[in-house]
Amino acid sequence: MAFLEIQDLTKSFGGIQAVDHCTFSVEQGSITALIGPNGAGKTTVFNLITGLIKPDSGKVLFEGREITAKKPNQITRAGISRTFQISRDLGEMTVLENLVVQSPTRGFLDLFQGSILNHEYEKAMELLDFVGITRLAHEKAKKLSYGQKKLMEFAAVLMTEPKLVMLDEPAGGVNPALLEDIVARIELLNSRGLTFLIVEHNMDVVMNLCSPVVVMAYGKVIAQGKPQEIQANPIVLEAYLGEG
Amino acid sequence: MSAAANAKTELQSPGLPGSASKPARKWFLAALLIALLLFPLTNLVSGSMNYVLFMMLYIFMYIAMASSWNIIGGYTGYTSLGHNVFFAIGAYFSGVMLVYFKISPYLTAPLAGLLAMGVGLLVGVISLRTRGPAFIISTVAMILLVKITFDNWDYIGGSNGLSLPIPDLDVTISKFPPYYAMLLLAVGAVYLSYRIRHSKFGLGLRAISQDETKAEVAGINTNYYKILAFAISALFVGMAGSIWGYYLTYLRPNIFLTVLMAAQLVLMTLLGGKGTVAGPVVGAVVFILANEFFVSQLGFTELNIVATGVLMIVVLLFFPEGIVGTLKERGKLPQFLDWE
Repeated sequence: MAFLEIQDLTKSFGGIQAVDHCTFSVEQGSITALIGPNGAGKTTVFNLITGLIKPDSGKVLFEGREITAKKPNQITRAGISRTFQISRDLGEMTVLENLVVQSPTRGFLDLFQGSILNHEYEKAMELLDFVGITRLAHEKAKKLSYGQKKLMEFAAVLMTEPKLVMLDEPAGGVNPALLEDIVARIELLNSRGLTFLIVEHNMDVVMNLCSPVVVMAYGKVIAQGKPQEIQANPIVLEAYLGEG
Repeated sequence: MSAAANAKTELQSPGLPGSASKPARKWFLAALLIALLLFPLTNLVSGSMNYVLFMMLYIFMYIAMASSWNIIGGYTGYTSLGHNVFFAIGAYFSGVMLVYFKISPYLTAPLAGLLAMGVGLLVGVISLRTRGPAFIISTVAMILLVKITFDNWDYIGGSNGLSLPIPDLDVTISKFPPYYAMLLLAVGAVYLSYRIRHSKFGLGLRAISQDETKAEVAGINTNYYKILAFAISALFVGMAGSIWGYYLTYLRPNIFLTVLMAAQLVLMTLLGGKGTVAGPVVGAVVFILANEFFVSQLGFTELNIVATGVLMIVVLLFFPEGIVGTLKERGKLPQFLDWE
């Protein structure tokens, strides 16, 4: 049984079949890449897994339990955290608050605790340190640059103690030096046992960081395997480059 | 007990901005509260302060209501144009209890608040499925529904209204009970608003107001938060209605259930700064005093409404986030008004 299993997932928007009987799985401890040309349905798959949209048919299983019908907050609490392709920040809140808002509360009375508890403060500062933006902790999130927001989002998903982290284009619009940092952080966390599912267009990152690689086109999974196999796969090349 | 413990935790958090004790604020609030508690006694000496007492209890009432509205409208970002429904429910509940069961509204006010909260919970479950303009319209619909119901409910007086017995008090002290009751409600509502602003709940509500999808993915049960916020925002409004109804001694659906009255709560909160603790307080004071001034100068004509409107426009032109919100953003908010 795989860690995360996507079974026969289907979703159409009007007449467009965004995801078409998509099936793949993510093994525990892997850094799995989900790639494909624009419009292949990758982000839709992300939204289906995290419950933001409901599939027309098919199932998502996480650690053997079905999570298809669950609400996004329940899925997050089950251990799946995600970032967004275009980073979504809570601009009027500080960077620190953006992190702490992710930490779980249990029960009714928990809601009326102080907004930032000591242990959450320490954990958040540690994570900001980890991504290197501690000095921005008390800035409003809207004042951050694009790259800094990516780092903040990355730190924020780690607040929830996730088992699986889903990153939607972590390298998008990020300068090469920062990109190296992010890749190094992902590798470090992965070596500690955290599983990743990553949508990415930067092939250097995908081929060096990820294995296995799942390739989607027109809502279907057309290939999956090790990076070297994918690079040599004629179906994949055709999907990206068109018929020669 | 736990509230105090939590407040302490927060104060101890290292490096949090605004967590250092603010002596100016503390002294200002303590002095203000003592002055307000003692103020009615001046009426025993001069006997001519009844008008001032009335203005003050009226302001207290709106402080309580605007601060409550701010919980759903400000922190959460869901503009409710139907909060006077809770006001009417509170007034009618206590009114009926007085007329039919001879129980003083001062005793039934807390129950009236809880009833309003319960109604808020039920309405919230339905209307909070919508957002944006659709939510606003659903709250206006709530006013109309309740008004039609009350107009046709003979037990509570129908459209003719319900007359309450007039409290038998000497004129020098007749304003004392509503004054202190409204003061208590104002302090309670502001304190509640402050507590929520600094709680996990408040953090979640602010996240919802900025990006609901993001908040949901961050693990917040947004539906639960929103419904709870809506219900809590009804509590003090219901209690205020209970006291105000007794003060008026006459309840009628078309006094309580107009969109204009709901809009006033929204306008004064915007004026002061929505989403801030002090904003609704400053907004209520400025709005009511300005309106009273215009009424005294221009009479109860349409002109006083125009003048209040012009004032709103001018203030929001220079203070787009409301008086408190904009001053805070520019770092010019005097410390005694920084209640965050």
